[in-house]
Amino acid sequence: MNTQEALKIASLLVEEWVWTTETERPEPNRLDVKLTKLDDFIPIVVGLRVQRLGYLSAITGLDLGPEVGELEVLYHFCTAAAVVTLRLRVPRDNPSVPSLCSIIPSAEPFERELREMFGVDVDKHPNPIHIYLPDDWPVDTYPLRKDFEQGTVSTAVRRGVKHDGKENNG
Amino acid sequence: MMEKKIMDETFTVPIGPQHPALKEPSHFRITVDGEIVTNAVVRLGYAHRGIEKAVEGRNWIQNLYMLERICGICSHIHATAYCLGVEQLAGVEVPPRAQAIRVLTAELERIHSHFLWVGVAAHEAGFDTLFMYIWRDRETVMDLLETLSGNRVNYSVNILGGVKFDINEEQADAIRKGLDYLEERTNHYLDVVSNDAMFLQRTSGIGVMTRNQAEVLGTVGPTARASNVARDVRVEAPYGAYFDYPANIVLEERGDLTARFVVRIKELFESYRLIRLILDTLPSGDLETRMPRRIKEGETVCRVEAPRGELFYFIKSNGTDMPERIKIRTPTICNMTSVVKLVIGHQLADVPMILVGIDPCFSCNDRMVILDRSDGYKQQWTWEALRQHGIDYYHEQHS
Repeated sequence: MNTQEALKIASLLVEEWVWTTETERPEPNRLDVKLTKLDDFIPIVVGLRVQRLGYLSAITGLDLGPEVGELEVLYHFCTAAAVVTLRLRVPRDNPSVPSLCSIIPSAEPFERELREMFGVDVDKHPNPIHIYLPDDWPVDTYPLRKDFEQGTVSTAVRRGVKHDGKENNG
Repeated sequence: MMEKKIMDETFTVPIGPQHPALKEPSHFRITVDGEIVTNAVVRLGYAHRGIEKAVEGRNWIQNLYMLERICGICSHIHATAYCLGVEQLAGVEVPPRAQAIRVLTAELERIHSHFLWVGVAAHEAGFDTLFMYIWRDRETVMDLLETLSGNRVNYSVNILGGVKFDINEEQADAIRKGLDYLEERTNHYLDVVSNDAMFLQRTSGIGVMTRNQAEVLGTVGPTARASNVARDVRVEAPYGAYFDYPANIVLEERGDLTARFVVRIKELFESYRLIRLILDTLPSGDLETRMPRRIKEGETVCRVEAPRGELFYFIKSNGTDMPERIKIRTPTICNMTSVVKLVIGHQLADVPMILVGIDPCFSCNDRMVILDRSDGYKQQWTWEALRQHGIDYYHEQHS
């Protein structure tokens, strides 16, 4: 399948079959699909898989900042040069997306990364443990969110030692 | 007689983080029933440096040097992916000569990376003679890279909007000569990995991945191509000079470890062909074009073919001189799923070979180094302290 065919099939799928999406063509080889309903997400992914547009290349998390109060999760599907991106918006205080592992097994590490870096809960993830961050990483601390300050979690903090070198007993 | 199987007679073997197969850290929990692997879980992050966060606090130019240091083996391809993306966002056209030099360096990098891998994989198989010979020959391409850029690793070829150096006739001849030697040696190595009976016992029929599995598990690069999945970004979605110098895809059908060796070695011939072609027909013209310091608001996706497979960059700019977000997805993480699925049913002793078969690169994957000494030595170097140290060091050396 070449790039143009892939883009055509993908836009037919999302525009004629699911009506609650907004599509955009930011670049000639890209199709961005904004999903307004979370319920449409799994059916669209299944649709893409059935059409063999199913190579999930990456999952990108975006923090739109505390002012907007939302996170955006981007699922990039690649066929030849075509990149079809499904864009989901979730509230910042209680973000949750369904897991894709049952449809696309290779989504597993991507979803684990999304979970620990952005604090997006991945519903029904088969293996919801840390992938990159240490096991003693503080809870509710998500390094790729915009309000995370670098250097606030050092090895010493994690071991209960304050920055001045004294034991943190309290 | 029916024998009642007791289900809980499994044993979990923790492997790593020290030396699971390579001299890089990763941790596997392998569940075995006797010698047979029944489950595997991977845990990464021992070399995580928080680069995706760090880039949000640095300007576009500083980030080029930061991102080039994600990986010591495929440094150039990271910088290339970043440059292509930023140039796309800025709407800047890079001169053809610069594009050709980028591709030439990328192919030299692929040669050194594949040589390195064959050596490591041979070592894992217990074939240390092959490991030593191929690493000796790899020095040829390392010398060529040093001749071009002055560096063996982190060649720093790219700048935003072009490349740093030109190639003169003398260097071109040195590369041609080096390639002739490497090609002759590569023929020999292809013969060794396809015909050496002892070596085949460790690779033939081991870690077999069918085409369907390779597709479903989302593998990329030579790992996918060894299972006959035609995934090569250079061919599918050409970028830079690959429009003018198209690459041919190398596929193998068997999907076992032998096929993964053969695919990578055959790809070397393709790299030799491309480099010779570029040297013979190098377009004339400028090496760089002007880049704005601030990049206008936008988003782009940039995919390139690293030695290990598709490297994916998502770059979002916000109109300032710093990026809003850069997402990096390296090929190893894609192929890692295939390892944890493939080892199931194999002997425990085959696990290192199957792992090494995908050519994992953990630094690429992980990307935070914190110095933590009990004697109260400063735990973290800030960017400013590190920069000042560099300046002081330079003055000391040159005073």
